[in-house]
Order: sequence, then structure tokens, then C-alpha cells
Amino acid sequence: MLIGVMQKFKAWHMSRQAMKRAWSDWDYLVLDIETSGLDPKQDNIVSLGWVCIHHGVIDLDSARHMLLEGAEISDNVGIHMITDADVELHGKKQQSVLRYLRHLLRKRVLVIHHAPMELGFLKSSWQQQGLASFSFNWLDTLAIERAKAHRAQQPIQEGGFRLGPCRARYALPDYQGHDALTDALATAELLLAQAAYQGKDCRLHDLNQLGGGRTRLVS
Amino acid sequence: MAAIDIPEVQKFIEATPPFLNLTLPQQKQLLTGVSMIYVRQGQRVMLQGESATVHLIRRGACEIRSPKGALVDQIADGECFGVSSAMVQNPDGLHVVALEDSLVYRFDKVRFMEMVEQNEAFGLFFEHTRHNRLRKLSRSQGEELTSPTSQLSTPISHIMTRQLILASPNDTVQAIAQRMTEARVSSILVVENERLLGIVTDRDLRSRVLALGVPSSLAVSDIMTRSPVSLLPDSLVMQAQTLMSESNIHHLPIVDEEQRAVGMLTAADLLRHQELSPLLLINQIHRQQSVESLAHVCKQWPTLIINLIVTDMKPADVGKVLATVSDNLTRRLIELALEKFGPAPMGFQFLVFGSQARQDQSLGSDQDNGLMLEREPTADESAYFSDFSQFVCEGLGLCGIRLCPGDIMASNPAWRMTEAGWKKAFSKWIKSGEPSALLHASIFFDIRCVYGEEEAIKGLIKGMQIEVSKNSVFLATLTRSALASKPPLGFFRHFLLESSGAHKHQLDLKHQGLALINDLARLYGLSCGTYRVGTLERLEQAIREKLMSVDTGRNLMDAWDELNALRLAAQRQHWQATGKASAYLDPKDLSSLERKHLKTTFSIISDAQDVAQQRFLKGYS
Repeated sequence: MLIGVMQKFKAWHMSRQAMKRAWSDWDYLVLDIETSGLDPKQDNIVSLGWVCIHHGVIDLDSARHMLLEGAEISDNVGIHMITDADVELHGKKQQSVLRYLRHLLRKRVLVIHHAPMELGFLKSSWQQQGLASFSFNWLDTLAIERAKAHRAQQPIQEGGFRLGPCRARYALPDYQGHDALTDALATAELLLAQAAYQGKDCRLHDLNQLGGGRTRLVS
Repeated sequence: MAAIDIPEVQKFIEATPPFLNLTLPQQKQLLTGVSMIYVRQGQRVMLQGESATVHLIRRGACEIRSPKGALVDQIADGECFGVSSAMVQNPDGLHVVALEDSLVYRFDKVRFMEMVEQNEAFGLFFEHTRHNRLRKLSRSQGEELTSPTSQLSTPISHIMTRQLILASPNDTVQAIAQRMTEARVSSILVVENERLLGIVTDRDLRSRVLALGVPSSLAVSDIMTRSPVSLLPDSLVMQAQTLMSESNIHHLPIVDEEQRAVGMLTAADLLRHQELSPLLLINQIHRQQSVESLAHVCKQWPTLIINLIVTDMKPADVGKVLATVSDNLTRRLIELALEKFGPAPMGFQFLVFGSQARQDQSLGSDQDNGLMLEREPTADESAYFSDFSQFVCEGLGLCGIRLCPGDIMASNPAWRMTEAGWKKAFSKWIKSGEPSALLHASIFFDIRCVYGEEEAIKGLIKGMQIEVSKNSVFLATLTRSALASKPPLGFFRHFLLESSGAHKHQLDLKHQGLALINDLARLYGLSCGTYRVGTLERLEQAIREKLMSVDTGRNLMDAWDELNALRLAAQRQHWQATGKASAYLDPKDLSSLERKHLKTTFSIISDAQDVAQQRFLKGYS
């Protein structure tokens, strides 16, 4: 019991110390999840897209786009451009995809645009699939953007925190597609821009203060 | 999965040469290991180590610059940089700075070089890019001072002031105010053990000392701004500019990593760096301590003139601005000469003649000047003024105001005279009526004093006017000479008839146009009760004194403006094309409407000459 607490404290302390290093000393996994609806309890994950950041640059070789097998998507074809046939052909086992994700997240900070939603789906999937528990740090580019706007006392209009308008503020290009991979890449570029705007000595700690946290997924 | 499978990457690559010519497998191969970076405006892109490779701008704009800061290329979306770094280890030390926030693809060097080897067309494309930039680089290295536009990526260290005016925290306010006044600066840095503690500006002295009635015996540390905003010397001009405007400050201390003050950058430095304004050039002229540094500063002069012309300043105003600059340059050279040779043994005036006097200088004008001495000099004093004048005239020459081919310069002993000497010379010219006398009249009768007591030359001018008014023969001779050259009205017919023939007609706007109006204005000006030296001012005065009808006068003034505008435009074009001044106009460059206009302008001069003939030559011709 005591040893467990000590270990937890040690882990916590190390992560606090590490936060003080430059943001680019860390590796990141930028994730976007497409779901069949908005409610993690009823709806499920259709696809996941991600790309990793290493040494402060986006490593395009790391890009992944995963369709999950058995995803019910018929109602949402219009949104995702994914068909039942795609799922049948490319669909992967949710459990193996999530295990792979967990493996990658061990050494990476998760980055999401609007974290609550995605984290909700990850939590419920973890429970459904009975995966091993683990904790990770995350950053939310939307929360970072909102905190920055708040600090600068710049009111941002309704809808101004969606991915597109956020990117436009950093002169990032307008991306047409909205599949999980495109949005993950779009979010990764946004994070690079946000970090660049924090100045030369931007630390993970700074980004974390603007919009980050630590979450534990349990089965 | 590979990078090329990302839809947005694929879309972009397929629309961007030379990548669009690669097959899909080739694209896939090339894009293996590609990464994306985001570079903020003003940041330099690292091109070392694994970054020493080709980059493709996805969105944004960058500048490629030589190590000295000369602009080599500006590139944007879909264009590449780092070509030289990837292919030949960047032997020219080019560097890249983001002009806008930029999102950039960075290729894996090994994959890129593989493709260059494999695909000849692809390799050639980048060889071409590299050679084009090398060519631009060698061209830009010819110019010592690069064009004033967009030098935003120059490091601050190139333009900051290094001679710092410093105070220690215990100095009194009065002491630092004195130091600032002596050094003619508007701010002072407060340092302790070389570390920057604070800054005090003119504004602070006003608002924190004078306005509050605080005793001037107070220590500086009580009124200074503590830990002021500062930058490192390798920061860019653009960053300084942003910082200064954001923090609403005009003085930016530059410190090294250890917080030691190493420089000062003021808003004026920034302006001076970016845009040439006449005021700033004058300001710079007054700060120079040697002829060499003056000559260096004056290299900007042609650019300044071009800028004035390009910004559509009225020709008369261009002339005035240039006269102000050359007056200040002359004065600064005189000051330097006085420092070098010691104070003058007697009072003197430095006189200018011709175009500098009339204030209608342009590119490539030469100098006409002389000295008026208080009394006859002894042999020693003569030698002093000889050295002195030599120094000033040669200095003007080095600064771009050409030596006078007719040797009408203060360095010529003939043009260093006492007031009585000058009076005698004028009188001789007026009485003799010889051709050489008339030539002298056309130069010397346009006279202005740029250094020394102005009163003295007023007497000279008054005497000249009285003498001229008494001597109608001289006025008639002067008139005949003024009317001897006719505006080239036939020129247009000629041009229309022979545009394809062997005769290549060019129009000398100065000697066939402007000079005629200047001569007419001088003629009327000498008959006026009040002496004016500028052509437009003389015409105005002549109208006021009713020597000339309002119509004729106004028309001539318009014609003068018109021709001057044309001359300046022609000079600008010629200068930018060849680097040499020329007032020749090729009629081919004129539209038919402009030709018609020019023809009207010449008819106006011709008509005015007829009127002058009536007025001054009645009974003589």
C-alpha cells in the first residue's frame, strides 16, 4: 500500500519535473476520433486518425488512419465518407487498435482538439474492452486557444474555437476533408503554431497550464 | 501507411511542380521521412544537420538572404528552399527567414537526393533553382547598400548604435540630463557592473522630473524605468519593430545573454534603416565625422531621389528637398574642414550658384560654388582657404555632387573673392556684354549663401540689380542670348515623319526645355525690384510686379513643372536601368497624348520668348 503510494508520488513528481523541459523535448500523439454519435454511452468509435510529433516537428510517416470493424455507420456516411464496404474491407479489431494506441501513448502526450468528447469515448471503450488501466498526459488545442483568448481578453465569436477558425488565426491552410486523419494532422499543425506563438522557450508546462491535464483510463 | 496517403498532402503534392510530374510510387518514395515544421514570422529557419535539406512551403512566405543580408529571393506557397544546403552544403551561407508565419514540409535528405539521382527532370529542376538563386546572389553582392525595401530580416546588430551613453544608478538626474544633452541623445542606459538596470528617456525627464517638480539632485535610480524591455543583438529588425510598437516605446536597449548593455536601437534608427526620408538622411549627414563616412551615407542619395520621384512628389518640391540635403551636406563638410584646418582666419560666406542656388537640382547635377571673404587675405590666409575649399569641393564630389567641369568652384582661386571683388566681377560682366560674360551671368546671377552671414550677399545682389537696371544694353544682350535657343517644335513633325528612318531623335529636356524657361525667368527676375533665385519664384515675382501677364507667367510655370516631371521620370528610368543619370527622353516612350502635351508645352515657351523679345528687345533688334 505504502509502496504503491510512493510509486505514484514518484511518477507524479517525475512528470511534474519533466513538464519544465522544452515542449519539443516531448513526443506527442495527435488524435482525432470519428464516432457514430455524440454520446459515449450509446454511440461508438468509427475510426481513429493520428500523427506523431517528434522534436517539435510532425513526422508524417507516423500517420495512421484506422477504421474499426463492426462500426455502425450507415446514418453518418455523409459525414465520414466511410461506407459499410470500407469497414468490411479495412475494419480492424477495436481492441487491437486501442492496445496499439495505449502502447504509443506510454511515451507520448496525447493531443486532441476538444478533449472532453474524445476522452469520454476512450474511457467508455476502455471499460467495454476491459483493457489494462493506465494514465497519460493530454493537451487540448481548443482549451489552449480558449485560454489564450481569455488571457488576451479577446472575445472570440460563436464557433470561433472550431478547428478551422483556430487554424485560420495562425495562417494555416484550409483543409477540405474532415476524416479522422485529416483532422488529426490539422490539430497537430495547430499545436505547432500555438507552441511557436508561445516563444522560443515554450515548455510543456506552459501549454499544460493553458489547456492540459492527466487522465486515467480504467477497465 | 505513407505520408502521400494523407489526402491533404497528396492533393498539394499533385498540384506542385516538379513533384506533380513524379509517378505515385516516386512520390511515395520521396515523401518517406517527410516532416512538417511551423516557422513564425521573423524566425530564421535552421538549415543545419538533418535540417540541411530541401523544404517546400505549404503555406506562407520566406526570404532567402546572403550572409551580408542582401535579398536573394522571396518565395511562397509551393516553392522550395534549402536546395543549396541539400545539394552542395550551402557554400554561400544563404539563410532563410520567414516573412510570414509558414507551414513547411521538410524532406528527408537521403530520399531527396535519391530522387535527384533517379529522375533527371526532377534533378534539373532543382539545379535550375539553385543556379537562378546564385545569379541573383552575385547580382545582389554588387550593391553595398541593398535596396531599402523589406530589410526586415536584418539582425539588429547591423543597425543599432554601439556608442552607448551610460549612467550609474547613483548619478543625479541633472548629471545625466547634461550628459544626454552633450551627446545629443534622447535616452540614457543605467548600468551597474555592466548589467542593464534601467533606462531614462527625454520623456521620462519631462514626465517624472519636470512635471512633478522633483529636485534634479535626485538619483537616477529613483526615476528610471527598471528592467526595460530589451532584445538580443541577433534578433531581427522585424522583431524589434513589433516589440517597440507593441510596448509603445521608442528606445530599445540591446543586451547580450548576460544582460550587459551592448547597443541601443531607437525608432529613428528603424526608420532610417527601412525607408529613406530626406530628414533622416540629413540627420545622418550631421552625425558623420569624416568625408569617407559622409560619402558612404550619401550613397543612398540616388535612391532617395528615386523614392521622391516614385512617390509623385511635385517636381518643384523634389528640387527643394534635394537643395536642402545638399545645403546640409555642404555645411557639414565646411564644419569638418574647420575642424581639420582650424578656425577660419576671417569671416566668410560659402556661395552656391546655378541649380543648387535655384533649388532645382536633380540626379547628376554638378556643383557651382565660391567663397566670399571678409577682406583681402594674406598669403597664409590664402593658403588656408585654398586647402579649406579643396577639402569641401572634393568632399562634395565624393558625396555624389560632381565637380564642376567649368571649374566654377571655391577650390578655384578665381572664385574666392572679397565682397568688393565679387561686385567688380559682376559689374564687369554686366558692362562687357561678351559671350563669356553672358555665360557667367547665367550661372552667377543665380546665387545663394549656404554658410556664413547672409546679409553680405544681399548687398552684392542689390548692387547687381541696380547695375543691370541701369544698363539696358546688357539686358538686351541677355535677352538675345535667352532667345537664341528655341524649343524644338519642329522635333515633333520630324519625329512623326522619320520615326523609322536612320535618325534616332532624342529630346534633351534640360537644354532644350527647362534651361529656356530658367533663362526667361532670370531675365524677368533681374528686372524685378525684389530678387528671387528660384525659377518659379522669379516668375511669380514678375507677375506680382506686373512685368509679365498672369497668363504668360502661369503658363510658363505649368510648362516648367511639366518638363521637370518628365525629366525626373526619364532620369529615374534611366538610372534604374543603367545606374547613370540622363535627361534625355526618347519620344518612343511617350503616348500620343503625352506628345501632344509636350508640344503644347514647347509652344508656351516659344510664345513667352516672343513676349520677352517685345519687352526687352524693342528698339534693339
